[in-house]
Amino acid sequence: MSITEHDEPARRSPKRKRSESPNGIPQHDGAPDAAALQYGYDEEMPSELQSPAEQDEDGMAAKRQRRERPRRLNYVPYMTLRGHKRGVAAVKFSPDGRWIASCSADATIKIWDATTGAHSRTLEGHLAGISTIAWSPDSKVLASGSDDKIIRLWDIATGKALPSPLIGHHNYVYSLAFSPKGNMIVSGSYDEAVFLWDVRTARPMRSLPAHSDPVSGVDFVRDGTLIASCSSDGLIRIWDTSTTQCLKTLVHEDNAAVTSVRFSPNGKYVLACTLDSCLRLWNYVDGRCIKTYQGHKNEKYSINAAFGAYTAELGAASEMDGEEPERWAFAVCGSEDGRAVLWDVSSKEVLQELKAHEGVMLGVDVGPDDTIVTCGLDKTIRMWKRQPLPPDANGVHESTVVVPIVAPVVEDSTPVNGTPAGTQEDG
Amino acid sequence: MNLPLTDPVLLAQDIPDSLVARLRSSGQAVCLRFSWKGDLLASGTAKGTIAIFDLETNGVARKLKGHTNGRTVQSLSWEKSGRYLLSSSIDWKVILWDLKDGSRVRVVSLGAPVYIAELHPQNYLQCVAALYEYRPVLADLTATTPKQHALPNLPKRAPHELDANPEKADAKHFTTVAAFTPTGSHIITGTTKGWLNVISTTTHQTIYSTRLCSKPILLIRLSASGRDLLVNASDTIIRTIKLPDLSSPTLAPDQIRLDVEHKFQDVVNRLSWNHVAFSSSADYVMASTLMNHDIYIWERGHGSLVKILEGPKEELGAVEWHPHRPFVAATGVESGRVYLWSINTPQRWSALAPDFLEVEENEEYIEKEDEFDVQPVEELQKRRLDMEDEEVDVLTVDAEQLEREGGKKGGQGGGGEFFRMPVLLDMNESDSEDEMVAIGTGQFRRKSTAREEREFEDGEEEGDGMGDSGAGVVVQDVEEDTARAGRKRRRP
Repeated sequence: MSITEHDEPARRSPKRKRSESPNGIPQHDGAPDAAALQYGYDEEMPSELQSPAEQDEDGMAAKRQRRERPRRLNYVPYMTLRGHKRGVAAVKFSPDGRWIASCSADATIKIWDATTGAHSRTLEGHLAGISTIAWSPDSKVLASGSDDKIIRLWDIATGKALPSPLIGHHNYVYSLAFSPKGNMIVSGSYDEAVFLWDVRTARPMRSLPAHSDPVSGVDFVRDGTLIASCSSDGLIRIWDTSTTQCLKTLVHEDNAAVTSVRFSPNGKYVLACTLDSCLRLWNYVDGRCIKTYQGHKNEKYSINAAFGAYTAELGAASEMDGEEPERWAFAVCGSEDGRAVLWDVSSKEVLQELKAHEGVMLGVDVGPDDTIVTCGLDKTIRMWKRQPLPPDANGVHESTVVVPIVAPVVEDSTPVNGTPAGTQEDG
Repeated sequence: MNLPLTDPVLLAQDIPDSLVARLRSSGQAVCLRFSWKGDLLASGTAKGTIAIFDLETNGVARKLKGHTNGRTVQSLSWEKSGRYLLSSSIDWKVILWDLKDGSRVRVVSLGAPVYIAELHPQNYLQCVAALYEYRPVLADLTATTPKQHALPNLPKRAPHELDANPEKADAKHFTTVAAFTPTGSHIITGTTKGWLNVISTTTHQTIYSTRLCSKPILLIRLSASGRDLLVNASDTIIRTIKLPDLSSPTLAPDQIRLDVEHKFQDVVNRLSWNHVAFSSSADYVMASTLMNHDIYIWERGHGSLVKILEGPKEELGAVEWHPHRPFVAATGVESGRVYLWSINTPQRWSALAPDFLEVEENEEYIEKEDEFDVQPVEELQKRRLDMEDEEVDVLTVDAEQLEREGGKKGGQGGGGEFFRMPVLLDMNESDSEDEMVAIGTGQFRRKSTAREEREFEDGEEEGDGMGDSGAGVVVQDVEEDTARAGRKRRRP
């Protein structure tokens, strides 16, 4: 079925530093025993069996080793948001965590309350389907890019479009990102260009001669000095925001079309989805692909990926009186069979698979307090919340976990036509 | 975060070399000041308005109106986090602005036209101002009705230096300029008779004085470290002076000695200098010249002239050096525009494809032993996947990076809090009178469709691209097909 369900004990990420070659790449010369060496760390090694010397390497590390990285996560369905009339292309939490915005092929954007799931507003004005949305850093403005070639800015407080839309692209707008200061927007379009917009004047500042195929994804790094763009020509390019010059180009040998690109939370890596059913993590400074995540199906649709963080236990922060709990990162991406797959970023192992949607799952975003929101071609938006693992869990939640179900929230006063989220999963 | 990818050659360059943009807001800019982070540039106009430029977009981020209409803004001074700005004008007022909402936190009338006013570097509720024919003032803005302390004009003299008739000698002896040291412990003032005074901020007493020349001191600048002083006087000589660590508790006033390190002057043309500034590291000194279109840059090690920045066809007034980049801003005296110089960053071709390499000259390619060996695809793939076993941390942000972003700031204390200026989407852009908006290195875009482009006879912009770029269309400097070229090269 999926690669999570193999019988051998699940691998865990290496906890101790292995000897490394000077450039940080493990030596691998293809010698027959190399593979065995590679997996030397994979054997389960209870922490008490480790040599004391190793534990004393540094106090913090030894202390942390007691807190094992969970090898499974248990996200459970929490709410289903309905209302869009066609497939939902993207969902985004607002930076302040209060709202969820979703955009759909039905040319509307809907704003939902992130805690209650109540439908707050429907933003109408685009003349064609909307592929992409982005929140301004202050959560007050939402930008949307549509197949009508226009980028609109929406005032969330009033639900109205701001008077001057961003006009300039010659073809569908495919991807958008706000700069961290909120003063610029970068957009990628089917016209193969990346535009950098001045938000205050609603005018294009620069056009980057980016790609030779539709630009499928753009992103700003956390301090705004770099822009990443990707395209179905198989290239990921890194740009300097101030000079708008290309600083680096990343290509995988297979040259598979890249459908989304995202900087890691610390800005040191980029995560890219490609249509060879792979999600790749790149060290863009070295131009090296350092992780390949597999297990999902992505051959046709532009599916977004997202980063998230998890701790050993839920509410671990309060237990450890003030001390910051150790956090690990996961990457999450949708699949064309409706699943969402969560991988541990370092070990590449699958932490959980969510049976998220009927048909293709398109978008995902990770919110505050261990929540995930997903959307798909089945017109629904799903919210997921992390729960403690049941004692005998092996990660597949839908058969084993009893879930507190919140009735699905349905837009406006439309009669409730959905079944509770949890029960639907079993069907 | 772009540093690891930036060409080291460019990083090594520390003087700007080309005019990259002109900015204009309503009115004629006469004074300038970069924010501490360097992302904003405040400009004050001859008509009393203030515009804050966003240097990422080269657009106006905020306009501040509050000084008496038609009275020149004399000086601007930023608080560390970038939230507050102090402006002074010849309308007697200093105004402390809150850029969060553009409101006026304090409006203080000092009773005389203000030459210059500066915020205390650690406490934005304290400022010093030099006034026209009056004593300089240290104002405490904590209360809504600010307290003002007059500071001495007269230099500190040993008893034997006192004239028999002090009243007569000291008449018409006024302070023209005042500046805080970086810790705020002392104020350095310059007078109409060429004296420099060091005044303690706490006791308001002059602890040291020295006379540089007999002409009025025009401007005093301190380097970021506080150990270097730059003085422009009306005797056409710019002086750099080494300062002792004034904040050191062990420093006794009688140990202070201010010695002139370098004198910069134009001995041939006897040019006098409009405005002076240190570079970000204080390694260079820059000056705009009276009746001349150039900015002179001297290097401080040997005191030699290293660069003349040119471009605008007009005399330049205020000049400012960016707090940490080779980036210079200056105001045009006639047009009131703001000119920006930076370094030229050519596109590196090696960045356009992963296997491009920039070489000095042609090299013969020697193929690797196994370059054309056919290996089973699956095995290669598996091997590659197996090699991806390093620990990756995608969450932790370097402390260094955090500091650069200004999110958390240790040390220094006071004013380090994080502030991000709100982005105003309803800025009245009709205020901006410039017909072309600079959009990057040598890049300009037409602001409105139907206007002649007489601005650009200077010839350093790309005329072709601009001619047919109407509103909303931008000029590209790299050919459209670089993207394609990058790709073609990969597939033989």
